Amino acid sequence: MRVPTSERVFAYVILIVMAMLVIAPVLAGSITAFKPQIIWVSSPPTWVFEPTLENFEFVFFTRKGWVYLRNSLIISIGSVAVALLLGVPAAYAFARFRFRSSKALMQWLISLRMIPPIVVGLPFYAMFLYLERGLGIGLRDTFPGLIITYQTFLLPLVIWMMRGYFAELPAAMEESAMVEGYTRLGALWRVVLPVVFPGIVATAILNFIFAWNEFFLALILAGNRTSTLPMTAGTYIVRTRVEWGNLFAVNMIIMAPVIVLTIILRRQLVKGLTFGILE
Amino acid sequence: MSTRRGGSLVNIKYMFHSDIADNQGKPFSTRLYQLTQRRRHWFFIAPALIILLLVVIYPIIFSTGVSLFRVTFASQSRPFVGLQNFERMLGNDDFIQSAFNTLYYVVFSVSGSFLLGFAVALLIRRITAGVELLRLILIIPITMAPIVVGLMWNWMLDPLFGLVNWFLGLFGIPGQTMLAHASTARLTVVLVDIWQWYPLVFLIIEAGMATLPRAPFESARLEGVSSWMIFRRLTLPMLRPVILVALLLRTVDAFRTFDIVRVMTDGGPHLTTETLSLYLYRTAFTFSKLSRAAAGSILMLLFIGLISALMFRYLYRDVEMG
Amino acid sequence: MKVLLQNLVKRFADSDRAAVNNINLVIEAGELAVLLGPSGCGKTTTLRMIAGLEQPDSGRITIAERDITDLAPKDRRVAMVFQNFSMYPTMNVYDNIAFPLHAVKMKRGEIDRTVREVAALVNIDHLLERSVRQVSGGEAQRVALARAMVRRPEVFLMDEPLSNLDAKLRVQLRAEIKRLHQDTGTTFIFVTHDQEEAMTLGDKIIVMNNGDIQQVGRPHEVFFGPRNAFVANFVGTPSMNMLPGVVRNENGGGYRLQLPGFDLSLPARFHDGLAAMAGNRVIWGIRPEAIRLVAEPGENCVSGEVELVEALGSRDLIFVRAAEQLFGVIVDAQESLAVGAPCRLHFAGGQMHLFDAENERSLLSLTK
Repeated sequence: MRVPTSERVFAYVILIVMAMLVIAPVLAGSITAFKPQIIWVSSPPTWVFEPTLENFEFVFFTRKGWVYLRNSLIISIGSVAVALLLGVPAAYAFARFRFRSSKALMQWLISLRMIPPIVVGLPFYAMFLYLERGLGIGLRDTFPGLIITYQTFLLPLVIWMMRGYFAELPAAMEESAMVEGYTRLGALWRVVLPVVFPGIVATAILNFIFAWNEFFLALILAGNRTSTLPMTAGTYIVRTRVEWGNLFAVNMIIMAPVIVLTIILRRQLVKGLTFGILE
Repeated sequence: MSTRRGGSLVNIKYMFHSDIADNQGKPFSTRLYQLTQRRRHWFFIAPALIILLLVVIYPIIFSTGVSLFRVTFASQSRPFVGLQNFERMLGNDDFIQSAFNTLYYVVFSVSGSFLLGFAVALLIRRITAGVELLRLILIIPITMAPIVVGLMWNWMLDPLFGLVNWFLGLFGIPGQTMLAHASTARLTVVLVDIWQWYPLVFLIIEAGMATLPRAPFESARLEGVSSWMIFRRLTLPMLRPVILVALLLRTVDAFRTFDIVRVMTDGGPHLTTETLSLYLYRTAFTFSKLSRAAAGSILMLLFIGLISALMFRYLYRDVEMG
Repeated sequence: MKVLLQNLVKRFADSDRAAVNNINLVIEAGELAVLLGPSGCGKTTTLRMIAGLEQPDSGRITIAERDITDLAPKDRRVAMVFQNFSMYPTMNVYDNIAFPLHAVKMKRGEIDRTVREVAALVNIDHLLERSVRQVSGGEAQRVALARAMVRRPEVFLMDEPLSNLDAKLRVQLRAEIKRLHQDTGTTFIFVTHDQEEAMTLGDKIIVMNNGDIQQVGRPHEVFFGPRNAFVANFVGTPSMNMLPGVVRNENGGGYRLQLPGFDLSLPARFHDGLAAMAGNRVIWGIRPEAIRLVAEPGENCVSGEVELVEALGSRDLIFVRAAEQLFGVIVDAQESLAVGAPCRLHFAGGQMHLFDAENERSLLSLTK
């Protein structure tokens, strides 16, 4: 299709402006993380300065940022691992076996995407409280407690995404292995999983991003022992003055791994974000 | 798992009962094998299903139960009050206000991000160089934690030294305090939400456009149909399921808005930016009115359920899912 | 090994109709049996039940007197080649062929010997180190054959293994499968919807439709003596000319067949079958190859004119409009006629088929 030059120039101008609007605040904010404290706030903004890592040092060590980073990693990786462990076999069954309730169950899984976190978070808080008081089972402010809670949004997504990847493979692949002397599980392990591995990685990354960025459930259910990075970002603002440099240092720590992962994942991103409904 | 065990059991069966004709006469082990074959999908699905029932369905039941009593974190007594909590919520000005605000978010954030995302998707088809880079840049806001986005824009919008006012100042426009004024705070938060999510609409629509078959468009162009008619009569109808998915996802997310508002205005000034999530959170955790928050969350669930069910019905007519 | 299917029934949850409806079948040891039928006829389901990939609702399957109905696929000593899958994409050719041998914990040296031996048998010994991206579709299907052979199965199952290949390759591989069958002497069960493939390959053809077996027989029996109208219509390209008709008693003991627009005298070989059929509706059929062009008018002749000519190579398929019916006729290319040319068709009594219009069964059994 040939596009008239005027139309193309117009498209370029608009798109470059849109891209600037997206990238400018992110870059400008990120720069602040490297500014020394005296020029955190300055008007007009200071663009030329000696970059420093002192904000990161402060956030990471003085304010125990490394602990929150560790917590975030444990919760994100742990909940993604659990979601994969439970979700991959289920996704396989949905992709392969014909059974009466499969369609209804898949639709039910999408409908879980509609549930606002407050609807789940609130009773979880109360349940954890009652479990602690009544049975002495402490789940509040623990990693297992958060990892279980995160399954509300991770598990349906894992099942939907992985179902798509399994459905792309011919069933004859594992059937062939079954006739050749393997059990279904043996065939799955030796034949299907190696082929579907890139899909598992993509699913894991996207779910990691969601878990990593999660704020609401953590705010309700995490405490001193399990605070995550997004929770602590706010702590630099509820003071007499905002520590902008430190705040953006935390923001950078939250953003950087996700941006790297996104670049790796970008081709599969849409599929995951739309729940793989469109195939 | 099932196959291996079944196989060896049946081998034993074969040694002793080689002359069995039909299912009724078959030994227990064989029938067990057949059962595992016929019900095999449950072995794969059950673990995930049990966890989902536990983490999604049980809390909803629990909430419904709590909403029928008067439960607070402070008091031990929990009298049954029937639907009183629901009545109180529906009669509460703040609840209604936050519901109204949420609706405002849904309408403006969804339509804004949709129009902008759709426009960018159309524009990006007009260019060739730099598409990949542009896409990469536009993905960034989607993957940022909403809380980070909110904090970043707080800084951008700071009335004294924020970049926005500095930029406006270059053109001689005086400093604005957009987040502090009731008249502008809500719109500002919505704009930030649009900033974060219009790229998602763009990605979905663009992916949808890439899957459209070429033949109808080439044929229409050969027949001399105008670009506008092609867009109206071919592109839009064929994109319908994609558009609906984008709208559905955006609606659901806008409905639950919490993070951005929490860090940007925390509901203020004067509750003008308070969303349902924020209000219910406060009701439960600041004012310790657990039952009332539970009732509110059930109302919220019914509300979003209704909206998404309607959209779902629409969507379902177009695409075969599952 | 002899394969025996007894009263096999399979229903799927999402369909009211039985996919396989109580079938009985014997396949002798060393036979190459072809399951032939249109899509959805139950041929693939039958094959998958023999492989153990589907569990029958009732009935028994035995291989060499061994009841395998409830065995897992891996324990059945069968091998299968699939239509839409040939190579495990994460392994090279060598590892693909070795894969079934790892399942039985064979020693490395023995695996290596077996793999090379089998690869040579299907002419892929020079491809062993290649990955899936470096082999063609035909080569990949040879890998599948090798993988099937490597465990020396008692029965080979093939589910339309040639359907995804181009025409030339298909003929080539078909010949090799035939040769493999002769060399190994193993029982083969081959599923296809392509009747030409069935004709050229099969020792025995099992025609299926709607979950039922329609006819079992050698290729010639199925072609020349179809037991019912479905088989007559399905087997043979171009397909048989068929017309509805009514049988009439003739003075002097013979029978005449009233067809739309003309009538025919029926030869004596139909007389037994027609004893109680006078006045009944029947379906009459004759193959395009069996119709002759004649110059002089006579018994069982109709005249008409050529409406369409399709070149088939050495022969032409011409469509003749006669007595308001359209007949497909195969003629030598040299004798072919131009469109619009007048001609006369002769239907030889010995080549006619008659089927009861009620139950579509043949009124004549050539096979006895």
